[in-house]
Amino acid sequence: MPFTDGLTRRRFLQAGLIAGGLSALGLRPVQANAPPGIDLPFSRGHRPLVAFPEKRPLMVMTTRPPQLETPFPIFDENIFTPNDAFFVRWHLAGIPTTVDLQTFRLTIRGRVQHPLSFSLTDLQTQFEPIEVAAVCQCAGNSRAFSEPRVAGGQWGHGAMGNAIWKGVRLRDLLEKAGVEKDAKHVRFDGLDRPVADVTPDFLKSLPVDHAMVDHVLVAYAMNGEPLPFLNGFPLRLVIPGWYASYWVKMLTDIEVLNHDDHNFWMDPAYRIPDNACGCVEPGQKPTSTVPLSTMPVRSFITNVADGATLSAGKPTLIKGIAFDQGYGIDQVLLSIDGGQHWDAAQLGKDYGDFSFRPWEIRVALKPGQSYQFQSLAINRIGESQQLQAKWNPNGYLRNAVETVHVRTQG
Amino acid sequence: MKCRTFSFILLIISIPLMRFVPEVLASEITTPNRSITFPTDPFSFQPGPGQEIANTYCVICHSADYIYTQPPHSQTTWTEIIKKMKLAFGCPIPEESIIHLAQYLTHQNEIAPPAASPLEIQKASSPSRNEQGSRDKGKSVYTTHCLNCHGRMGKGDGPIGKMLIPPAANLTVLGEKSNQELLKTIQEGRPGTAMPSWKGDLSPQEIRNVLLYVRTFSQK
Repeated sequence: MPFTDGLTRRRFLQAGLIAGGLSALGLRPVQANAPPGIDLPFSRGHRPLVAFPEKRPLMVMTTRPPQLETPFPIFDENIFTPNDAFFVRWHLAGIPTTVDLQTFRLTIRGRVQHPLSFSLTDLQTQFEPIEVAAVCQCAGNSRAFSEPRVAGGQWGHGAMGNAIWKGVRLRDLLEKAGVEKDAKHVRFDGLDRPVADVTPDFLKSLPVDHAMVDHVLVAYAMNGEPLPFLNGFPLRLVIPGWYASYWVKMLTDIEVLNHDDHNFWMDPAYRIPDNACGCVEPGQKPTSTVPLSTMPVRSFITNVADGATLSAGKPTLIKGIAFDQGYGIDQVLLSIDGGQHWDAAQLGKDYGDFSFRPWEIRVALKPGQSYQFQSLAINRIGESQQLQAKWNPNGYLRNAVETVHVRTQG
Repeated sequence: MKCRTFSFILLIISIPLMRFVPEVLASEITTPNRSITFPTDPFSFQPGPGQEIANTYCVICHSADYIYTQPPHSQTTWTEIIKKMKLAFGCPIPEESIIHLAQYLTHQNEIAPPAASPLEIQKASSPSRNEQGSRDKGKSVYTTHCLNCHGRMGKGDGPIGKMLIPPAANLTVLGEKSNQELLKTIQEGRPGTAMPSWKGDLSPQEIRNVLLYVRTFSQK
């Protein structure tokens, strides 16, 4: 069975350049017989570029419910991913097409002393506004690079984004409602609904201790603007350092539970093998699982596409981004020879422990050579990326060192 | 003189109004409602044995690109995926159809994904000449593709239609909708509902025929 098709790196590079050019020009391709697209470097990797409402043309993985990937050149152009380029992932197709803020309410109920209900204006005027820069990354980001391949949404590396989120502390809302002593989990529901009533509604829960953490927000703004509709207008849960599956969009209901939550989306969905690496031997099934939560450290080269041809002679700038679950990035190392030798890159501006951290380094390249560029990030508690990719049946937690193949002109 | 009196009256009336207007505007600015329209599915499942099962059940909850973006999976894996859709998500696919759908999806997964099909609204909007013959042909299209959701008499009470949120449309109360509107719905589907786009499965002629048949529900 062919796991790779004949796709050349050059084709991927060209597609990437087209995407970069399109986004730079703000063009919206007309969907005719053959809409423009990007070919990701794996089998069934063609992604049409289509502009959904409030979005520039993004890579369509699926149309209904929408799952849209950010073309990778956008991460080189911006440390904070523009709202109209931010990736989109919905689980259920029953997404409202209108949100009426006169009637929209966020309710808090369950194991609380005073059930409460807030309008958007209540949240914006009655609570201290908080801002945090944080990466939102899909649990299945880079799933398509799992080898052997696994079922699930076939994302490249663009199911992530970095934004400045503004909102109120979840803790402030819960304290106002008065959480009962027996509270164990806090469950979140958005306005999205299943198409058929027999399908489990999308609900996610946090342990009550983590719901009380200072930087966990109910956000009403993203990069200084209201949230895009497809990113959860008007309210979205923001849990810096945790995977995006918990960042419930169009948040409308918070229920405090006095028990563990075993709804479908907590169990069996979104779980990882219950061991230190969250991995199993390729093709095996884990014997026990735990809910997915934090993101392991990752880094990417953003200014050189896989398959690029570079000129030699003068020092070549290589730059990129790194992030982790909130310990912060300590070091990024770069290799141009496939991991035999490593040099320390220079870290750029620090926007906070949960943000993308820019880095760059200049390297000397000889003419007429092949190179394998790799970046490896280490966080402040010494955790580093994996040299060899780990595997699990759902393709979660990928943080392998990625390789960019380059040639120099002879 | 007349004019001047009139504008004086206007001025008096408008003073209290002007004081009130900015407050209305302010509340609109801080609380803008938001609406969007979703694009319709770019294509549906391609011809082949089992296509109708996929176009009946899979597209209730998701577009066909969910399948065509998957890496090559074995028939065993596709069977597991279909069973997950049935058991965890409540897909109403009959047990005996699972193997046929698994075979179809395995095959579809090996061949090239379809291209997005162009809009054929204009071609489909002119009425047919032989209406009775066309209605009969439309009935057979309806029985194959529409009955599971919209029901035998078009009331939206088919076995799947009743489960949907929102439920399948009641086709007996379409009197005021234009042919153009209804053809567009059949061609493009209805965003926010389970009504898929049929332009990839049905020819413009078949769509005209099924509309003629659907029109008979409101006459009974």
